[in-house]
Amino acid sequence: MTVTTTTEPGAPPRVPVVPVPATAERRPPRPRRRRSVLPYVLIAPTVIVLTVVLGYPVVRLIVQSGQEYGMAQVFGTPARWIGFDNFRHLFEDRYFWTVLRRTTVFCFVNVVLTMSLGVLVALLLNSLGSKMRLLVSTSLILAWAMPALTATVVWQWIFDSEYGLANWVFDRQGESWLADPMSFFGVATIIVVWMGIPFIAFTVYAGLSQVPADLLEAASLDGAGAVARFRYIVVPMLKPILMILTALSTLWDFRVFTQIYVLQQAGGISRDTNLLGVYTYQLSIGQSDYGAGAAAALLMIVLMCILTLGYLRSMFKQDHI
Amino acid sequence: MKPRRIVLNLTGLLVAAIALFPVYWMVLTSFRRGIDIQSPDPSFIPFPGTLNNYRKVFERDFFWTATKNSLIVTSLTVSVALIVAFLAAVAISRFRFRGRTALLVTVLVVQMVPAEALIVSMFRVLDGWQLINTVIGLSLTYLVFVLPFTIWTLRGFVEGVPFELEEAAMVDGASRIGAFRRVTLPLVAPGLVATGVFALIQAWNEFIFALVIMQRPGSKTLPVWLQEFNEGARGTDWGGVMAGSTVMAIPVIVFFLIVQRRVTAGLAAGAVKG
Amino acid sequence: MNRTRTTRWIAAIAAAGMLIAACGDDDEESSTATDAPEATDATDAPAATDAVTDTTAADTGGGGDSIRLWLNGGDTPDALVEYAIAEFNKIHPDVEVQFERQEWTGIVEKLTTALSGSDSPDIVEFGNTQAQTFEAAGAVVDLTDKRDALGGDDLLQSLLEAGTYDGKLYAVPYYAGARIVLYRKDLFEAAGIEVPTTLDEFLAAGVALKEANADVPNFSGIYLPGRNWYAVLSFIWENGGDIASKDGDEWVGELDSAGSIAGLEFFKELFDTANSAPADGDDANDYIAFCNGEVGMMPAPGWKPGQIINPDDGCPDMEENIGVFALPGATAGTTAPVFLGGSNLAIPVNSEKQELAYDLLTILVSPGYQEQFAASGTIPALKSELAQVAGSDAAVAQAQAAENSRFVPTSDKWAGVEAANILPDMLTEIAQGGDIAAAAAAADSAIEEMLNG
Repeated sequence: MTVTTTTEPGAPPRVPVVPVPATAERRPPRPRRRRSVLPYVLIAPTVIVLTVVLGYPVVRLIVQSGQEYGMAQVFGTPARWIGFDNFRHLFEDRYFWTVLRRTTVFCFVNVVLTMSLGVLVALLLNSLGSKMRLLVSTSLILAWAMPALTATVVWQWIFDSEYGLANWVFDRQGESWLADPMSFFGVATIIVVWMGIPFIAFTVYAGLSQVPADLLEAASLDGAGAVARFRYIVVPMLKPILMILTALSTLWDFRVFTQIYVLQQAGGISRDTNLLGVYTYQLSIGQSDYGAGAAAALLMIVLMCILTLGYLRSMFKQDHI
Repeated sequence: MKPRRIVLNLTGLLVAAIALFPVYWMVLTSFRRGIDIQSPDPSFIPFPGTLNNYRKVFERDFFWTATKNSLIVTSLTVSVALIVAFLAAVAISRFRFRGRTALLVTVLVVQMVPAEALIVSMFRVLDGWQLINTVIGLSLTYLVFVLPFTIWTLRGFVEGVPFELEEAAMVDGASRIGAFRRVTLPLVAPGLVATGVFALIQAWNEFIFALVIMQRPGSKTLPVWLQEFNEGARGTDWGGVMAGSTVMAIPVIVFFLIVQRRVTAGLAAGAVKG
Repeated sequence: MNRTRTTRWIAAIAAAGMLIAACGDDDEESSTATDAPEATDATDAPAATDAVTDTTAADTGGGGDSIRLWLNGGDTPDALVEYAIAEFNKIHPDVEVQFERQEWTGIVEKLTTALSGSDSPDIVEFGNTQAQTFEAAGAVVDLTDKRDALGGDDLLQSLLEAGTYDGKLYAVPYYAGARIVLYRKDLFEAAGIEVPTTLDEFLAAGVALKEANADVPNFSGIYLPGRNWYAVLSFIWENGGDIASKDGDEWVGELDSAGSIAGLEFFKELFDTANSAPADGDDANDYIAFCNGEVGMMPAPGWKPGQIINPDDGCPDMEENIGVFALPGATAGTTAPVFLGGSNLAIPVNSEKQELAYDLLTILVSPGYQEQFAASGTIPALKSELAQVAGSDAAVAQAQAAENSRFVPTSDKWAGVEAANILPDMLTEIAQGGDIAAAAAAADSAIEEMLNG
């Protein structure tokens, strides 16, 4: 069965006690032998796989963004070089900016909700007894294991205007949840957050198990409350994981696709509810304008770099480069 | 029970209920006739129900072939991704070397590429290598899409293990590799599982690449096979879809339950031995 | 202890992966032998479990030649495919036909990759609104020379339009489906209503039915959810409107023309007075509403009665109460134009067996095949076989409706208009009380931008 929790009193010390200054910035990894080939050997498989498999598609994406590339080009018609026209069209299109703004807001709200709720669930997992913890974590894994398409469809049923449970509970037959953009994004947020929490919760929980129990105990003996312990011990220790998770959630929520797409088919007004992920898809697959799709994809990448700039910068700082 | 415990347990139950409700609804629907799936008077119990949807799932052509394909692709993806990513994560968090930051940034940027924009190009690459309709081809595709994420998360876990711990073990006379295995690996194990489960779910449920790469009927994976219940304009056999989805979720749960026990046990051992 | 446990665990997963993979590879190499019996088509109709069994996934490298036939969805019955293969084998006894049924979901992605790759099928089916995109791209073989042999002027006009690009025939009409109106005979009788003979009578009957059944919650005299744009097209066309028209090389949006606006106003009145279906719904759930007794009449595809009375998922008891008629026009004795859905068949340019594929294609559009298609209740691609449509009232009404049928603008960019949901979005806005002229004008400019872009 499951054993040990960090909160269990009298648990044997999980790791040797080390003097980690609670509030100090984590020290950068110290250089090992300067000219070692070992790190290169270790990263070789990654570099090879990424370069060999993804190299060509990514280069093509970049090239396509400068071309007039449609269905005819897929079937061998030579592509015409049009420079930055694909980008210019996007920039000049006011609708693109609307979609962009909408996407940024949606992404921000969803990341904040997913992260804060996910961390709370992780803390809950950490302080539950073993049986309850197994129950909650199994529920989470069940939610997580549900295929995205199936989960979205079930949620859409819940908010269906004819036979939806939501309308049944509130006794509002025929109330349309998806036709209005605001409530559309409300429903979308529920689905995205619901699907996003398990991963965050599990990862943070796994991270929590790395926090030395005796450190918390010592702090507790020194009179630090739960909030203070969380703020000054747990957060600094989990900082690398929390930052990665925030960055990853930002990337995923920024290009959210399935949930929006399914809800649009079920009644959302596409023009008022398009986010960048769906819009890019409409351009590339829907209208077979792969050039414009590639340009939109590249713009998305640049935007995501900007969104995660804080994260990138702290990474560089940490590395002293 | 202390009041604190009661509050915690109640919160736990609430979280479990919210997480489970859509799952429960999926299972419930899998026992319904098509006409009863959406109804003005919803019922919350599966009775009176039908097993017909499950019969359709198991009797439908290629179910077992698709299951086999999915199992192979997923286990290949997960095992290779974990090994490759773990090596890279160790290199990144334990060494400073030229090109380290470049690698980090590349890996992060790869995360940002919208997969929808790469479908046709990926197909072209695999077609050139004669890997269309092969599990190797699909596994390679999944590998590049889960690798960056796996590396990033594992890097966080490896860094979460204070380097001083390893140093302390080395002072105690352990070799570097010995210290690493005895101290770092057990502490990273939960991270390996969390990322492993993530990679597993990604690979197990992925649809669009599987659709274009595995085109022959005998090479379909489960998510693509599941779409056979969707007849486009003719509507969708939701009972079949939900029964199929339920069946599909079982291996994931089983895997999680096995791993979950193992890892907590391993953790405990690690803690005791220190 | 701990270290070995973790490493062992990872090693075990890896080993398991390799092992299964190894098995998998074995299977794949020997697939010709072992998979052959189970390599039947993945049939869509839940009832039809005994599928075509005489097709195998044999490797092309083997003794005889083989060609691959892709058909989509469940519209082609297995028996017909068997017939076609048998006919084909009379000419080419050594050639094996591999029949692979495809799903409509994701079909564009699949066709885009498959047709441009090295493992191309030899005959494919396009939905008639998708065909233009692939024709314009040069993805399929020019069949103009063979036009007469494939049916010529006997082919259904609007499907022929979908299959023709720049004056050349690329995709041969295969079958069609038209929308008809389903009604409840018992409710008509109870309310003393006759089958409507004009469009105005249709609306009046809907209103009367709704009043007569006011005690049934959520009852629709005419069930018409806001996003069922195929049905609304009939109102637009009957009033002289259209989606767009071609002026020289430019497409001009016609939704804000007087005729279209009149059609949209008719839709709005119908939606408000005779209907209870939601503004943001489509026709995916209409059979449920019908089975629940919430529907007096509803526009629906010809196969809809079959879905309603399906013993597995529908309400077979309803069968005796289902009546059908073709949507009437403005004056008695006419029918309103309906959207003709359907499919076209084509031979990919990357097919390595184009000659063989052509022979099979000829069979699929031959009178012998199309006659059986008609007999199964589908509208055949050959006008001369329309009279053969039998089997049910629905099939007959469908054939009657198909005689006055129309199509969406014939443009390789049309698929983009559908992908962007422009028409359903416009209707949802109107159904929710939005200004009709403004919504139509906005849709017009969106459509123009896409078709001319």
